[in-house]
Amino acid sequence: MTTDQAAAVGAELRAMLARVTGRPELLGVPSDTPLFGAGVGLDSLAGTLLLRQVQTRYGVDVAAEDLNLDSLETLGTLAAFIAARI
Amino acid sequence: MIKCVVWDIDNTLLTGVYLESGADLPGADPGLTGVLRELSARGILSAIASRNPPAAADYVQQLTGADFAAVECSWGSKADAIARIAAELSLAPDAIAFVDDDMLERAEVAAALPDVLVLTPEEAAEAPGWPEFSPAVITTEARRRSQLYADRRRRQAAASEFGGSRDDFLRHVGTQLTIAPAVPDDLPRLHELSVRTHQLNSAGEAVIQPDLARLLASPADTVITVRLADDFGDDGLVGAAIMTGNGRNSGPDVRVPAQALVATVPLIMMSCRALGRGALDALLAWLCRSAAADGAAELQVPCLVTERNVPMRLALAAAGLRAEAGSVAPDGRAVFARPLTGELPGLPDWVTVK
Repeated sequence: MTTDQAAAVGAELRAMLARVTGRPELLGVPSDTPLFGAGVGLDSLAGTLLLRQVQTRYGVDVAAEDLNLDSLETLGTLAAFIAARI
Repeated sequence: MIKCVVWDIDNTLLTGVYLESGADLPGADPGLTGVLRELSARGILSAIASRNPPAAADYVQQLTGADFAAVECSWGSKADAIARIAAELSLAPDAIAFVDDDMLERAEVAAALPDVLVLTPEEAAEAPGWPEFSPAVITTEARRRSQLYADRRRRQAAASEFGGSRDDFLRHVGTQLTIAPAVPDDLPRLHELSVRTHQLNSAGEAVIQPDLARLLASPADTVITVRLADDFGDDGLVGAAIMTGNGRNSGPDVRVPAQALVATVPLIMMSCRALGRGALDALLAWLCRSAAADGAAELQVPCLVTERNVPMRLALAAAGLRAEAGSVAPDGRAVFARPLTGELPGLPDWVTVK
């Protein structure tokens, strides 16, 4: 895995995030903004849709590999989690 | 048990072909119109998958008076249309029946989605007599289910046009969420939720009505309900949780140090209609705050870890609950927990606690 790869995954994740939430402004969300809570406010519906798209795009089943879903802490941690597995 | 019937239009719900009829449009099939009505009264949804323009679905809706929970009008494959309907309504394929007069369409769906119950219109006319279409308990929520899903379609259309965060939207549409202790009248609906919920069910198994009644009567247990309404409609009782050992009944003579008190939540369940509307987050926030107020030092939620209940795990994670790595027991359960110190998850201003 390279930093470039994580960055490329991160850019695609932003597009997915904007799509599942219907909020185009998330295309510019910083890598270290928390996805849950006050940051992005990702809820269980949008989160499930995001993980489904991740699985379709990268073949990485985040929910199966990460019991606590800590990889969803920020966009950066999720990108790194995926990049390490592709 | 079938939860949704996906209907073809041409020569199925209509007695002819919509696009070939010019100004003289075909009428509704009287037998199947009766089936639509009967299924709706039993809380079974109807949806449309048709190779027609969307106007055809509106026409059928006007003719039959039926509320369709999802409408797929496209020239693409019916199996794909049914898969989209299943995703939209959060239903498993084995909860779906598909009715079409065309043998090739039926064959395509049966091959692509083997768990879907594929029927001819003649079979569908008989279906109300079959056990798969006969739920044991029909609650108020069930009778109104078709309408609730039609409300949901309108709500989702409004949400997709609304710019701004989810919370802004929930406020904008007058969301009202009420958290209140369960009463005996809630028992049939609680039982129904425990049977019907999968994606948002922590225990992954049904709780029978006598057990729920016993929990309701037990001073050591709390059964809490969630009701949800907004400008689009009133969804009624959408979710519930059971909490035990929250220290509520430990009187002054009970010498248990506060840090030893653990509040356990053996069951959280939520209708998928409430998904995306903040109800699960609010329920978890209430559980944390209530347990903390009663002196518990930790909240524990044993949760079955499956492919289907990912939304439940996401909500647990968002509320700050974590399981120990590698702690999934052989029965597939892990205990998600959080200390009840520091900042607890907050309740938004549209939540009323009774």
